Amino acid sequence: MLFWVIAAILTLGASLAVLLPLAGGPKRGSASSDHDLEVYRDQLSELDRDVARGLIQPAEAEEARAEIARRILRLDNADPAAKTAARQPSMATRLVATAAVLAVPLVSWGLYSQLGSPDLPSQPLSERLAKNPAESSVDELVARAEAHLAANPTDGRGWDVLAPVYLRMQRFSDAVTAYRNAIRLDGDSAARQAGLGEAIASAAGGIVSADAQAAFEAALKLDPANPKANFYLAMGMAQEGRTEEATAGWQKMLAALPQDSPWRSAVEQALAESAKQSVASGVPAKGPDAGDVDAASSMSPQDREAMIDTMVAGLDEKLRQNPRDTEGWMQLIRSYVVLGKTDQARDALNRGIAVFGSDSDEAKKFTAFAVSLGLTATE
Amino acid sequence: MTRKQKRLSVIAGGLAFLGAATGLTFYALGQKASYFYMPADLTSASLQPGQRIRLGGLVEKGTIERGQGATVAFSVTDNQKQVKVTYTGILPDLFREEQGVITEGTFRQDGVFVADSVLAKHDENYMPKEVADGLKSKGVWQESKK
Amino acid sequence: MVETGHFALVLAFALSVVQTLVPLFGARMNNQKMMAVGGPVAVTGFALTALSFAALAMAYATSDFSVANVWDNSHSLQPLIYKITGTWGNHEGSMLLWVLILTFFGGLVAAFGSNLPATLRANVLAVQGAIGATFFLFILATSNPFARLNPAPIEGRDLNPILQDLGLAIHPPLLYLGYVGFSICFSFSVAALIEGRIDASWARWVRPWTLVAWMFLTGGIAMGSYWAYYELGWGGFWFWDPVENASFMPWLAGTALLHSAIVMEKRSALKIWTLLLAILTFSLSLLGTFLVRSGVLTSVHAFATDPTRGVFILCILTLFIGGSLALFAFRASSLTAGGLFHPISREGALVLNNLFLTTATATVLIGTLYPLAVEAVSADKISVGAPFFNLTFGPLMVPLLVAVPFGPLLAWKRGDIFAVAQRLMAAFAAALLAVLVTALFIDGASVFAALGVGLAFWLICGALTDIAVKSGFGSVAPGIIFRRFAGLPRSVFGTALAHLGLGLTTLGIVGTLCFGTEKILSMHAGETVQLSGHTLRFEGLYPAQGPNYSEDRGRFALLGADGSTTAVITSSKRSYPVRQMTTTESGIKTIGFSQLYLSLGDEGTDGSVVVRLWWKPLVTLIWGGSLVMMAGAAVSLMDRRLRVGAPSRRRKSAGAVPSASLP
Repeated sequence: MLFWVIAAILTLGASLAVLLPLAGGPKRGSASSDHDLEVYRDQLSELDRDVARGLIQPAEAEEARAEIARRILRLDNADPAAKTAARQPSMATRLVATAAVLAVPLVSWGLYSQLGSPDLPSQPLSERLAKNPAESSVDELVARAEAHLAANPTDGRGWDVLAPVYLRMQRFSDAVTAYRNAIRLDGDSAARQAGLGEAIASAAGGIVSADAQAAFEAALKLDPANPKANFYLAMGMAQEGRTEEATAGWQKMLAALPQDSPWRSAVEQALAESAKQSVASGVPAKGPDAGDVDAASSMSPQDREAMIDTMVAGLDEKLRQNPRDTEGWMQLIRSYVVLGKTDQARDALNRGIAVFGSDSDEAKKFTAFAVSLGLTATE
Repeated sequence: MTRKQKRLSVIAGGLAFLGAATGLTFYALGQKASYFYMPADLTSASLQPGQRIRLGGLVEKGTIERGQGATVAFSVTDNQKQVKVTYTGILPDLFREEQGVITEGTFRQDGVFVADSVLAKHDENYMPKEVADGLKSKGVWQESKK
Repeated sequence: MVETGHFALVLAFALSVVQTLVPLFGARMNNQKMMAVGGPVAVTGFALTALSFAALAMAYATSDFSVANVWDNSHSLQPLIYKITGTWGNHEGSMLLWVLILTFFGGLVAAFGSNLPATLRANVLAVQGAIGATFFLFILATSNPFARLNPAPIEGRDLNPILQDLGLAIHPPLLYLGYVGFSICFSFSVAALIEGRIDASWARWVRPWTLVAWMFLTGGIAMGSYWAYYELGWGGFWFWDPVENASFMPWLAGTALLHSAIVMEKRSALKIWTLLLAILTFSLSLLGTFLVRSGVLTSVHAFATDPTRGVFILCILTLFIGGSLALFAFRASSLTAGGLFHPISREGALVLNNLFLTTATATVLIGTLYPLAVEAVSADKISVGAPFFNLTFGPLMVPLLVAVPFGPLLAWKRGDIFAVAQRLMAAFAAALLAVLVTALFIDGASVFAALGVGLAFWLICGALTDIAVKSGFGSVAPGIIFRRFAGLPRSVFGTALAHLGLGLTTLGIVGTLCFGTEKILSMHAGETVQLSGHTLRFEGLYPAQGPNYSEDRGRFALLGADGSTTAVITSSKRSYPVRQMTTTESGIKTIGFSQLYLSLGDEGTDGSVVVRLWWKPLVTLIWGGSLVMMAGAAVSLMDRRLRVGAPSRRRKSAGAVPSASLP
């Protein structure tokens, strides 16, 4: 509302700037020759001053004076034409005046209605952050925490609170930094180390790297029963193809976990999958397999989504670069089917066929495989 | 000299001056303009020995060797050919592996390009314009479709 | 507040259209009321643009990321000063600054133009309005700084770290004040062409605007040069980069204009040429804007590129340059020629100045545009750099600089070159002495270096001679000398100061280029290095944390003769996490007029750091000289003859045409 009032006032002011000179009483402008004369008069007095100072010789000054005088004479000759009175305002001039006055509000309001966003208030950051936390979005809360931490970078508790939030928001590298800061400032704890490991692994698309492994192992040193660390370490083994050790790890967890632990079902599914895996094929997993997908389904929804997406996308990308990977294509197709993304699975199938040629053995193998998953190539 | 002759001589002098300036400008353009090449263009380019050129491309991964003092050697590639480049001096802040660079200098007898300036100025896509155009025309690099 | 700024911008556009059409129509119909509209509208337009700019700056200062432009170029952790300067550190904001300055000059003409004839004033404001209208339209159509984001992001993408520097706070506004200031000269020229009437008085009315624009452009270029010098860490002060050339060309043409307008004012000669120069100067400003803004060049000025903008500016360029030149061709023949003069005279010297300056402008223009033209017709990419400009621009400048001291001493109409040469004997002797001293007493000085120093001293002493001769030194009694000196017109001091500044800049350039030394080496902590008699010890790298960056500071101790530390110089590598960019902050120690300059390179595996050191003798004179030139322009501006008032009715009724002075 305030905005419209200001806009109206501004428009009014601008229109007045056009209207007032047009509406004022009759003006008699000075003829332009008067202005010229003023300049030449000044030139003459300047000449006199220069002579008085001895800057120019009297003879030169005389010549210059004659020249300026000639300019003045020329003015007088040219003048009568210029001095004619202004013409009476004609119909045309009135029309122009009206159009000009109207143009200001019309053009500005017309154009602004196309370009502007009058309903959108200004949103200075400090104001947004000062809002009641209950009304703030997660992003704003995080930003507030970030601003606080930027000002007090040694607040370990702040980092500790923020780190899991980052993890849930899938800002994995920020989560890594936050966990590291929390550990540096507030010391080790199993939860922090396990969180750090999870953040590192998630940042790497779910792969439990040596860094992540080190973090999980540090967590276990502090709390040998930490489920997250145990679970991921086993997963790391599974990723390396050490299925038996992974299975052993998960089984040990299962025995130790309390009945109501949220990790139970995750471990059970991981176990079931690894059993299937070791039967189905001896090859080490290159991308996400159904086991990982199922294991992921027991994680928090955000974690799961992130993990699956990054892993599948990673595999997809790898296949675009090295397309002649039969096993890879089959994994990709299976992943999409498990995720319920039938269209993408079909797309992957077609791409795989296209790589090897539709008559090739591989193509036939893909088709058969797809049929076994309940998928058909593009009709 | 009559007034007319005087005026003519002034005009002639002015024209001679302008002619000389024009001649100098175009001579300088021919001599001092340096051409831009990508490594794969070099086979078809006929370079005079010691001719200054600008060589652009990507810094090939794993080729940066820091030698004695401030001398650095690296390869510039357009993913078709590579050229070995040595440079003594401070590399720009934006110099990185697999990023576009433009080097300016001459070829040594042994085919190594001795650069006296290395530029890594670029737009927000981390790619100098010339290098980006060159790579695009070779089909090596596509603009990200974000 | 943001939307108020947006609305004010749209309103300013509407007013600029009115400002174009109504006064133009009024001048045509000789309707005083319509002509009078120009003034209030121009002032209001400026107020609205200023409001709009203030709104954007406010959005930057308060990190309002609901404005897309702020989100793109700012970050909540930036220091407040860089938040505010970030307003014009991007395409949209800098264009808004451009029109702000344009309307500012329009407002100035409206406010202080009461001494101008009504029709001239109306036409000037109309042309000014037309330029404004096209640029407002450009901003609204292609580069609207007030585009909004909903929902607003919570954090911005940070300003390009290279631009997070105080240099950015000063450089663009100064440069634009210069660039855009020449729009007034352009408007005066086009207005004169529309009226078909131009006299010596015109030159006097344009002169203050030329001086203002030239002064700011000088400052802007010098500031930009110093900024590049210390911020880019290459130790160079001028790179002949196309963007630099884009600002240098209007300066050269503007300098020519400044001089030819003197001839026009005094002798009513060179009228057509002066008009053309005024048009060309602003055209080169527009060309510069086009080259920088359209992104046809790639350069250190890392602004965004967008072809639609380029095409739009190209249209503006064609409209104004083509239109004004067509008008010029159409009208020029109807303008009368002015006074005659002998080749050896003040006029002749100024014509020579113009000849050299415009030719130099042309070579810079060719060198800048040639690569674009070659790329357009063939696929070849070439670059034209310092070697080209040294070969063409240098030879053009040397004779011009040699001739400078003669100019102000020559008489109008017909001068006596031998008398002038005699008066300059002292300056010549000083220059010769400088050459000899340089050649004999400074190690490694080449003939060129010695001559360069001589040339600089020739300019400096020549400028002093000018003042001395005009004070009557050597011809009148000492008491009178002082009175004369005090009574000299300010413009005489202005000229002498500007020429003196030119000499100082020349001395700085020669000193840096010919006597500078440079070393690149890799250093371990504790090692010392010698450079041109200075001993530096590398103390080591220390990490430090800035508000929105982290840095490794290399500390260097400057050692005195007894081995004690006399000064500490730090150079650092900064890393800005948001843009994942690294910048080098050079370390500079000023000793007298010279500087010790060092910049850090990469860290080696063995803990050593590559360090590049320069000794830059007299380098500060390059920019100090520019400041003196600016001071010259400022002093000239204060000359009383530029304050010619409006004709008063009383004097007019007295009918006092000074008939006594008629021949």
